[in-house]
Amino acid sequence: MSAPYSDRHPASVESSAPDPDTPNPATDPHAVEVRVMAVPEQLPVMRAVVGDLAMRADFDVDTIADLRLAVDEACSSLVRIAAEQSPLVGRFRSAENLLEFTAEVTSPEASGPRTNTFSWRVLSALTDNVASSVREAGDNADGHVVRIQLSKGRMVHE
Amino acid sequence: MTRADSEHAYRGQNYEELAPLFVEFADLDKRDRRYAELRDRLVTEHLPIAQHIARRFSNRGEAQEDLVQVATLGLINAVDRFDPHRGVDFLSYAVPTIMGEVRRHFRDTGWTVRVPRRLQERHLSISAAISTLSQSLGRAPTPSEIAEHLGISREEVHQGLEAGNAYRSSSLDELLSDTDEIPLGDAIGSSDTELDEVENRAAIRPLLEELDERERRILVLRFFRSMTQTQIAEQVGISQMHVSRLLARTLSRLRDRIEVDVPAESLSD
Repeated sequence: MSAPYSDRHPASVESSAPDPDTPNPATDPHAVEVRVMAVPEQLPVMRAVVGDLAMRADFDVDTIADLRLAVDEACSSLVRIAAEQSPLVGRFRSAENLLEFTAEVTSPEASGPRTNTFSWRVLSALTDNVASSVREAGDNADGHVVRIQLSKGRMVHE
Repeated sequence: MTRADSEHAYRGQNYEELAPLFVEFADLDKRDRRYAELRDRLVTEHLPIAQHIARRFSNRGEAQEDLVQVATLGLINAVDRFDPHRGVDFLSYAVPTIMGEVRRHFRDTGWTVRVPRRLQERHLSISAAISTLSQSLGRAPTPSEIAEHLGISREEVHQGLEAGNAYRSSSLDELLSDTDEIPLGDAIGSSDTELDEVENRAAIRPLLEELDERERRILVLRFFRSMTQTQIAEQVGISQMHVSRLLARTLSRLRDRIEVDVPAESLSD
């Protein structure tokens, strides 16, 4: 987690290695990646994608609506801390009974989203799992990669 | 269906005794105290007509209370614009005016982008299907269940659900802001003990207080009471899609306002 060698700036294997938890469209037929500028105007794109994936997965209408709200909330809080002229990357994976979403931005701040906020409360209520992480950007890039990861499963009906 | 049974009667109710009041009302100056008094009385006395017309449009995906408000607005317009000297009785003038107001609400004011009528209607039928299926299934339906229920394709359900996201639900608040002399709010507002519990300890209270009663209630039920949107829809008496839109709007409004982080302990029970 910590980066004790940051002053030496190695070719940061850790930061460029694919994260097994992140949906990867290159290797996963169920993964979708959307890359937009980290500005509020682009959030409807993220909402539309998650809504569409959830509808096609035939999730119930409550879950579809909650996922749209959750993606909107997660992306909004990341956009607020994103560096100027930087991308917001959304990665979606729609498995049979689970929809996973990861959003990340590059931020000048090392502190990620705080979990004692109203926004986090909203995210927790809308999803089954939500977590955030921060790591150094690496690859000679400045800043920190801040990520919010969330997932929500299909409602189980008897 | 909405034609007056006789010149001054509507659904068995006779409004003939009010006719002379219109003559008096039309000749009054707006600054006259009697003007406001009469206007109030004329609107109140004719309210059953607005309520009846609103009922005729229910089950089309809009909340009954919203429709009653829109119909009442139509009634107010009718009272204000009616000219008793033209030899037409008030009912013949008011009924089409109120119907027109409700229709316009459906057609125009609710949609932020131009959505084809066909899609709007599909949206409304899907909205009604969600409500029916939620009742029978005891949970929110999936798009495929809605498709089967309505006998349309999954693709059509997707389009209808998508169209719902272009629907604006705040039109009523805006419409009604001009007519604040009419105490419509009394019928809508009600105390909410669940909300009190949160408010007592919430640093977010000032922000919640800026919301209207219904938005606040929906927010609390979803995020502090863990109710599903479908359950909230049933409790509040509006459609699930309407709940969804209100939540999206409220969250976005709160995001714009929250500058300071709210400590978690002030929010938890």
